[in-house]
Amino acid sequence: MLLVLSEEHKEHLGFLTQVDSAVVGEFGRIAVEFLRKGTNPKIYEGAARKLNVSSDVIQHGVEGLTYLLTEGSKLMISEIDFQDSVLVLGFSEELNKLLLQLYLDNRKEIRSILGELTPKLPSYHSLEWRLDVQLASRSLRQQIKPAVTIKLHLDQNGDQTTKILQTDPATLLHLIQQLEQALGEMKTNHCRRIVRNIK
Amino acid sequence: MELSEYVQSGLQILADSGCFSPSAYAVLLQTAFQSLLNAQVDRVALDHPVLKHIDPTVLKHCHAAAAACILEAGKHKADKSAISTCLEDCKFDRERIEQFCTEYQKNKDTLELILGSIGRCPLHVTDVSWRLEYQIKTNQLHKTYRPAYLVTLNVENSDSRSHPDVSFSCTMEQLQDLVGKLKDAAKSLERASQM
Repeated sequence: MLLVLSEEHKEHLGFLTQVDSAVVGEFGRIAVEFLRKGTNPKIYEGAARKLNVSSDVIQHGVEGLTYLLTEGSKLMISEIDFQDSVLVLGFSEELNKLLLQLYLDNRKEIRSILGELTPKLPSYHSLEWRLDVQLASRSLRQQIKPAVTIKLHLDQNGDQTTKILQTDPATLLHLIQQLEQALGEMKTNHCRRIVRNIK
Repeated sequence: MELSEYVQSGLQILADSGCFSPSAYAVLLQTAFQSLLNAQVDRVALDHPVLKHIDPTVLKHCHAAAAACILEAGKHKADKSAISTCLEDCKFDRERIEQFCTEYQKNKDTLELILGSIGRCPLHVTDVSWRLEYQIKTNQLHKTYRPAYLVTLNVENSDSRSHPDVSFSCTMEQLQDLVGKLKDAAKSLERASQM
């Protein structure tokens, strides 16, 4: 699968031919840093002064590079496909190799950053439990009522929430049975076949 | 068993065969138990023909007193002798005490169940449902290829009767961790019950 680059995109990346490979490497590093932490326009100005071009040109160059890296990582394109996609830009052999290396080095990290953008439900973090026995209440004395109190820790968008729940022994055993069945599903032939065949 | 003045005076009227004939007593006793235990009964049926000739205010007083006495007995899990002593103090004769105790014995378990269910507790889990999915891609990331579970704990809130279910997603390892911890809790319950 090849990356399709628009004319504007090719133009932005064209700037990379006018600088030496150390600078391209630096742009690559800036691009990944921006993906990790967000953009910082001051960096563009600093680089613009050093290279004696407008900061717009620098910005476009970095953004073009970023797009190349993120699209490639998102689609998980192979080495060959990446090389072929970049060939169309007409860069030097050296620059092509540099870009490929940049892609391969950072692909895993970029994919995990992109993975955080998926729509998400609260996810399980951990669980604590406690055994209680109710002995009496305002309306009834002399009871023996066992219960399990559970503190469920969930993560959502970086925030941790906690839910306090309670259940009785019979329901606890039922929950365990149901969830063990759920775990068992992954080992069935049906699920194994699907995991094997969807690649 | 402690009964207030109001309840005691109501019971004393109930004990009086001049006010309540044996059949009237039996009907009122039954009605008192039914109104406490039968959730479908909205309004107390104090209009039985046998009770017609008794002043409504007196009827309400005696009914309330009987109900209070039943609840007090239930609350303390009172035995026959405790109830008998209490009713004797309110001038009940042997026969009426017997009737009360028989009726109480019949309904004791239901009464204790109802009394035991009154009260607050944290959200109570009643059931769980789960879904296993295999993620293929998102709009930001293709070829993700990993299984994920979506678990929903069905929860009942005894106060507001709402169902604020708790849903969360987890990986297979996380679900194993969850089940492992629940099994620890169950084992510890078993050990505690054998002590």
